[in-house]
Amino acid sequence: MRAYLGLVWAVARKDLLIELRTRERLTAMGAFVVLVGMLFSFSMDTAVVRPQDIAGLLIWMTLIFGGLLGMGRTFRLEEEDGALTGILQSPIPLDALYAGKVLGNFVLLSVMAALVLLVFGAFFRFTFSGNPVTLVAVMGFGVLGFVSLTTLFSAMATRSTMGESLLPVLVFPFLVPVLVYGTTATNRLFAGRPFVEVSGNLRVLAAFAIGGTFVCAWLFRFVIEE
Amino acid sequence: MSQKQIRHAIGVLGALGVATVILLHWMVFFWVPTEFTMGIVQRIFYIHVPAWWIAFLGFGLVGLCSAVYLWLGDERLDRAAVAGAEAGMIFTTIGLLTGPLWGRVAWGTWWEWEPRLTLALILWFIYLGYFLVRRSTANPEQGKRFAAVIGVIGVLDIPLIHVSVTWLRSLHPEAVILNPDSPMNLDGSMGATLSVGLLAFSLIFASLFLARYSIAGYEHQLDLRDASAVTPQGAEA
Repeated sequence: MRAYLGLVWAVARKDLLIELRTRERLTAMGAFVVLVGMLFSFSMDTAVVRPQDIAGLLIWMTLIFGGLLGMGRTFRLEEEDGALTGILQSPIPLDALYAGKVLGNFVLLSVMAALVLLVFGAFFRFTFSGNPVTLVAVMGFGVLGFVSLTTLFSAMATRSTMGESLLPVLVFPFLVPVLVYGTTATNRLFAGRPFVEVSGNLRVLAAFAIGGTFVCAWLFRFVIEE
Repeated sequence: MSQKQIRHAIGVLGALGVATVILLHWMVFFWVPTEFTMGIVQRIFYIHVPAWWIAFLGFGLVGLCSAVYLWLGDERLDRAAVAGAEAGMIFTTIGLLTGPLWGRVAWGTWWEWEPRLTLALILWFIYLGYFLVRRSTANPEQGKRFAAVIGVIGVLDIPLIHVSVTWLRSLHPEAVILNPDSPMNLDGSMGATLSVGLLAFSLIFASLFLARYSIAGYEHQLDLRDASAVTPQGAEA
């Protein structure tokens, strides 16, 4: 088990190191977050709609669209450099490769989620009176569910002739549970509702994230093998 | 089964299917009594419900054949999966078009973003992705594997659609036939009309499935022929 986790960490560490050196995906996602926040603030008539009431929608839609920008490139670098063939020839189990990719993407998207909360909090002057631990749990399980599916579909999209344009078509139908339950729970937390009103949503998000990760880890071998 | 026998079976099943669909429409418009609470609009139930059942059968076949295809790699299972998916898409489209006709009268709106309708629409988009991914790889075998992966995940939407009425406070009417509290809660003539609808769509489905399965077999033979024609030239070059 320790050796397996070591392999998972090795893959995630490699991806995160590349990202730290190139800052390719983080720059694109970060710029996207700030620009979308600006566009929302210009286009929203705050006399008609209170941003606080639709905080969940603003946060999750930005996270999903911005996240796709970065997740779509999960396998791009390896595919372009032919490094994927090398990784596939190494003795690493394919589910460990998948788990490492998911872990790397999870860290990246968590950074982006924190940025979304900070930027949108400043732009729209959100006030948060709920439990921050519950918000972290909602965001964490939502992000894991998103990343588990997107990593699998990103491997497909990278190897297809349509490239990254295929990714939204494949992944959006499956992301509806994350969007519905994540948005509702976030809206309720920003409205200061008690934990009991979001516990059901949190359970669904956790089940989706954990179940999705295991199912996708099993299916990954059929996508990545030549 | 020879190709000639398959072509014969497709023709017979298709002709019987069309005849039964005509009979179904006669029963729906002239024979079955009008339901008391919903009125005349309820008659669409005899087309809408069997269409969805057959769509679920098609996608259920896709899920099953895709899972076994990923396991065994047998080409025939991929052909069955794609045949089930195409027939399933046709019946899903019928279900998605007939539902709003009922909804316009019963709810006063063509569409409502409630759980069952949303999940049903998602099902259509999942299988749109199934076809897109099949055609978007340079290596056809890879495209088949990708599609099979989507077929396996996509089939999980079907039980969700079924339970959404009770679990997720849906506006959609509850199940009448597959309801454990009151199974087959239908008047005799209504049950007969629904059964004819189910038979008609099953025959059409079987005909479409066989036709598409047969075409997929021809496509496979052509691919093999093209591959064997190209390889020696490539080797010489």
